[in-house]
Amino acid sequence: MQNDTPPGTFHTDDTSRKLARWLQQIMAQPQREQEPPPASPREEPLSHLAIPPGEYHPRFYRQLPDFIMALLRHEPQAVSRYAPLLYHLVGCPVCHAAYLDLYDALRAALAVDESQLHTVPLPAGPNVPSARQLAQLCQLLIMQAEAVLKLARHERRDDSALARALLQLAIKTGARINQATLRAEALQDLVRVATGFQEPETPPEPPALYTYAPTLAEAGGARHGKTMRKAASPHPAGPSHEYPAIPLQDRSFTGTITQQGDILILHLHALDSSLRGRPVTISVPLGSLIEPIQWLGGNPRAIRSTVAVDEQGTLTVPLGHTALRLDNPGDRPLLEVTFMRVEIHPA
Amino acid sequence: MSFTAHDLRYHAEENFPQLYAYLQRYARRFSGTANADTYELDLVVEHVVEQLVRLGVIGGGDRLPLTAIDSLSEAQFMAFLQRSVHNKFIDLWRKRHLAVSNMSELESPEGAEGEDNPLSDVIKPVWGAPPFATPEEITLALASQQELRNLLKHCILALRAAPRQLQAVLQEIDEFDCAELLRSVLDELHLALPPLEEPLDHLSQHKDHAHRKLRHCLQQQSTNLTVTIALRLTEYGVHDAATGTFEVSIDMLAQDDLSADEVRQGLSGLVAEGLVDWHGEQTVRLSAAQRKRLSRYYRDE
Repeated sequence: MQNDTPPGTFHTDDTSRKLARWLQQIMAQPQREQEPPPASPREEPLSHLAIPPGEYHPRFYRQLPDFIMALLRHEPQAVSRYAPLLYHLVGCPVCHAAYLDLYDALRAALAVDESQLHTVPLPAGPNVPSARQLAQLCQLLIMQAEAVLKLARHERRDDSALARALLQLAIKTGARINQATLRAEALQDLVRVATGFQEPETPPEPPALYTYAPTLAEAGGARHGKTMRKAASPHPAGPSHEYPAIPLQDRSFTGTITQQGDILILHLHALDSSLRGRPVTISVPLGSLIEPIQWLGGNPRAIRSTVAVDEQGTLTVPLGHTALRLDNPGDRPLLEVTFMRVEIHPA
Repeated sequence: MSFTAHDLRYHAEENFPQLYAYLQRYARRFSGTANADTYELDLVVEHVVEQLVRLGVIGGGDRLPLTAIDSLSEAQFMAFLQRSVHNKFIDLWRKRHLAVSNMSELESPEGAEGEDNPLSDVIKPVWGAPPFATPEEITLALASQQELRNLLKHCILALRAAPRQLQAVLQEIDEFDCAELLRSVLDELHLALPPLEEPLDHLSQHKDHAHRKLRHCLQQQSTNLTVTIALRLTEYGVHDAATGTFEVSIDMLAQDDLSADEVRQGLSGLVAEGLVDWHGEQTVRLSAAQRKRLSRYYRDE
């Protein structure tokens, strides 16, 4: 059963050649069978990707390094062990190109003389990736999370932990982008992907009455780190306080997230008359991705308001505790991302 | 300060600055002679980072299995990154070259055919061409190896549930003059003559469906395991004269290249096809009839 010749070296005869021709015809994947790219309004910014959306096959792509290493080490059973991957490579030009690229890079890596370790120069001093690079990395991590979830659904596995880790990394990376508009653009698919998968035990949510999002910063990030005055809306911290806030908006309806001590507070205004005198349920879909917030009730997708909407349609309600600080420039982006979507449901 | 794949896997955020700086620096140095612009530099760096994300090196943590890249030493990983930058540049320039050529606007720059032309690396790789450099080479390898050919046969036989698709495929094999495979499949199906005389309605549709099923089957790891385990059962089974059965342990089936779980997965596939009776025991027992059927099914031709 074992082949003594190095992998990739085969005795071929006429029978094999005929069969090979037929195999190539079978494995050539028709265009219509390739997966369409995910519905996204951002075709243009994704043009920088080496692997177009829909043409990434995680199950096979991730096998490439091990397969290549087995070939480079002349492991006799490499070809039969990775037969499904080989069959895939016949019909997938993207994975085949990645195979050739990785083969070359891994071969170069194995040829390295360990004594050269100290001759490989690394840049000295602090280095910071550009905001554009961080934005593209965010998009990539979000897309990767989406691909992971898609594959898991297809194979009926639960990979939500991996997807969550990728989205968390995207959020943390996004929080390093100082320009609020660029950050919002980088993370614009985050909500869609994060809400696209439900935890196995989470029942589907009914449609929201209101869906708030942070108001976008103007050019130059003028609203970034905005400080609101009492006159703008009431604040429980007391009179004459200037306090940092995240302004929210859904159509003409407005709201804010403020902080008192370690408590995050949601303020909403002019809610519909049908809600007045009643409590509501608040959903923060990205809330479970941010670990440093302890949400009231424990589930950020179902925070029941502790008070009812008042007669003016106003609601002021605590959401949870956190050590993050809205007035801390390092923490604020993380909180802004957390509240990229706030939904209000009838209780 | 330096970093490895391990650092990126478990401490990605902390190592991003170093990674980007390293890639940018190397990309700038490599592209120096080719007048790459900032856009191209950034694109190359992004493509290397994309590859690391796609492979699970960035963001994979404990949730994705380690790969050969994780086993690279620090110096090897740096060399891997450098070569990746180099390859992405080649790829980018090749695409640009093609795009320009397609518009008939290319005039060979001075030295374009000489040693300074980075594209010549594509034509003359330092170590020679890699194995499986083209789809043709891969299919030839797949067609030449007995075990891989058995995989194909296994998947063709799985079309039994859809007789018209099977017939469409048999016609195709006949057209391609793959007589040996055709005879082998027909033997297994107990068909004396190929059922090819009667024209098949909607032939192309049946063929399309059959191809899709074959593609799916051939790319399934479980199918591969099933075929591998079937072969090993026939090869390693030890005859027990007292019971008349053939016995082989899970460890023996695993050899050096499969895990016990993989063996069990393959055995489950054979149980599902009614070829083996096995209920999770450490030793698999085959009757003489079962062994005969297995060996005929996957025999060397």
